[in-house]
Amino acid sequence: MANKRNTTILVGLITVVLVGILFWRPTVLIYGLQAAGLYASIAIPMGLILGIVHIVNLAHGEFMMLAAYLTYMVCSALGIDPFVAMVPVAVVTAGFGLIIYKLTIRQAIKAPELNQLILTFGLAIAFSQVVNLMFTSQPRKLSFGYVSASMDIGELTFGTFNFVFVLVAVLMVVGLRLFLTRTTAGKAALAVGQNPNGAAIVGIDVDKTYGFVFALASGMVGMMGAMFITRSSIFPAVGSPFTMKSFCLVAMAGIGNIPGILGASVLLGISENFLKAFRSTRGWSDIVFFVLILVVILGRSIRGEKA
Amino acid sequence: MKKALAIVMIIALAIPAFAAGQKEATGTPAAPAATAAPAAAPAAAPAAAPAAAPIKIGATWPLGDITGKQGSMAAQQAVDEINAAGGLLGRKLELIVIDDELKADKGAAAIEKLVTVDNVDVLMGGMASGVALGQIPTMKKYGKVVISTGAASSTVENALGADANWYFHLHPWDYNQGASYVQGWDEIQKKYPAIKLVKLFLAYEEGAFGKASFDQTKILFGADGRYQIDGAPFKSAAQGGGDYSAVLEAAKQYRPDLFLWAGYDADALPLLEQSKAMKFSPGLYLGAPPGWPADFGKSPLANNVMLYGMWAPSINDISPVSKKFYDGFVAKYKVEPATYFAPLSYSAVYVFADAVKRAGSTDTAALITALKATNYASPLGQSITFSPSKVIPNQGIRNQKILQWQKGRQEVIWPFESATAQPVYPFPAW
Repeated sequence: MANKRNTTILVGLITVVLVGILFWRPTVLIYGLQAAGLYASIAIPMGLILGIVHIVNLAHGEFMMLAAYLTYMVCSALGIDPFVAMVPVAVVTAGFGLIIYKLTIRQAIKAPELNQLILTFGLAIAFSQVVNLMFTSQPRKLSFGYVSASMDIGELTFGTFNFVFVLVAVLMVVGLRLFLTRTTAGKAALAVGQNPNGAAIVGIDVDKTYGFVFALASGMVGMMGAMFITRSSIFPAVGSPFTMKSFCLVAMAGIGNIPGILGASVLLGISENFLKAFRSTRGWSDIVFFVLILVVILGRSIRGEKA
Repeated sequence: MKKALAIVMIIALAIPAFAAGQKEATGTPAAPAATAAPAAAPAAAPAAAPAAAPIKIGATWPLGDITGKQGSMAAQQAVDEINAAGGLLGRKLELIVIDDELKADKGAAAIEKLVTVDNVDVLMGGMASGVALGQIPTMKKYGKVVISTGAASSTVENALGADANWYFHLHPWDYNQGASYVQGWDEIQKKYPAIKLVKLFLAYEEGAFGKASFDQTKILFGADGRYQIDGAPFKSAAQGGGDYSAVLEAAKQYRPDLFLWAGYDADALPLLEQSKAMKFSPGLYLGAPPGWPADFGKSPLANNVMLYGMWAPSINDISPVSKKFYDGFVAKYKVEPATYFAPLSYSAVYVFADAVKRAGSTDTAALITALKATNYASPLGQSITFSPSKVIPNQGIRNQKILQWQKGRQEVIWPFESATAQPVYPFPAW
């Protein structure tokens, strides 16, 4: 009863704050949500891997970077749009993810966590260095007119393209929920994530499930890589900051909590843009990021101890 | 299976390591076949006749960065041209390049190796000021002649000190660049009365480069009260950022006559795309990254964006030396020089070669005397001479240029003696 009341108060408070921001400075809400969409849609595949395969993939951002370069090559050679290229790119990235899983991750599934971290960190470095050798560090960017789409409301003018990432993040959450609860493969993945030994006893092929989930998540992040090139320049090191951000969002949401990643991203995106609205706090966005993580994780720990 | 996996992993790890090794040895990773094999040269040298021993240039650049990569390629081009013309003092030139990886410790170790193991006759190269600061103690220890192509920060000058007679700095210092911008805009306004600047807004990346740019802009443009300056930081895409909405909102509210941004090449197009989305179109839109992304000029958004720089292919129209450099570079490497570090590094080799010819030897004292008397018509569209700066005795170039992207080309607007086009003003509304 008390919990329900607390939740109602929290939701009410959040609503009041959001409405207040909307009237005081609507761009904070607009750009905050856009940033949240991008963060969430990159972090959700990592959350999927962490929730089911129980591996922290430190090469997550590099998978996105590889997909972005592949998209760049495909779009430059064939003159097609990244939104068209993202389908074959996602398939190729999923296949590449499966190969990487079979060759490396699978060998470290039962190894200590530190070994797994070192392995994926090594993969991240190898990927970015190979791309650096092939393409140099010079950024590349394809220019598309629709990226500058805008909307006028009174005196307010803002870009609308980045809302596509909000849509993608929501679709990912809904799609994954349907997949994990309505399909046999999804239910098997959920079972493996919750209890791999128990799942094996009831006849689920744990290794195949891990491989499938890793490939699926790689395909999703590959799709994001294809879309990423529409809004950002790409270069060999472009992915690594998103690995860190994604990991922190997954940690904030709690392992296996995919909708929570979306919520954590909204909190982060709006907080960042709130601070950017003030002259004196414009450079604090990274600080608020880590403060939020500390507060959420500490709060969860304290609540856990009390329970 | 485990054995097979181990072999695959070893091969996978060995490929980048091997490639990096090749890069260190040749300094020209894009065209290994076209370069000499300096790695083999030290072993071969004792067997050759002493009179034919090559004159060795030891250089460090960040080869993972386009500036360093193309700088080393252009230096190799100059070496090959000089060798094809008979070399220097009857000897061949040899370029030994080590990748400093943009790290001060690697840069310092590279200098140590070049001097003590490779026995080079001159040191060359450099890009980042942080690396130069790390190299200076080692350079001071050996006192070899250095022809520096990078390091704009005046902290480097202070670290060198007034007695660094052996250090020849080609790149302008930060205060040189700032002063030349003020002079350039003053002269542009005088020549083109339609262009009027009062309010300047600088969007600067959060790091040391951006903050220093903002501080310098405030000092230089704000000194006599003719200009009003405001600015705001943003997180560069190169540092994991890439959302410019807040800084553009601040700029839009300020309504500047000149909008400048000091960030990295990764910011160039996304910043323009977001400016267009927010319908932010100031009279002058100027970017000051160290380099521009590949194919930037092909984007329709690039048209009429202004920039600071030292060289552009359009200088070929007014400078035969620039044209010779450009044609040679494209013929040799099948790519365009994308950064002014390429002609600057090319110039460094020719400045050295010219001094050796006049000195008649590579003896340090004779070389310093000859270098001080340098007057080299460079591909940068200006002659290079050396004279004292605020601290060091041998400063080369002192000004940057103001350019503008026009129909996919960087055109020089100022200095007027190097101008290749007139400015397009105002920056068209979206």
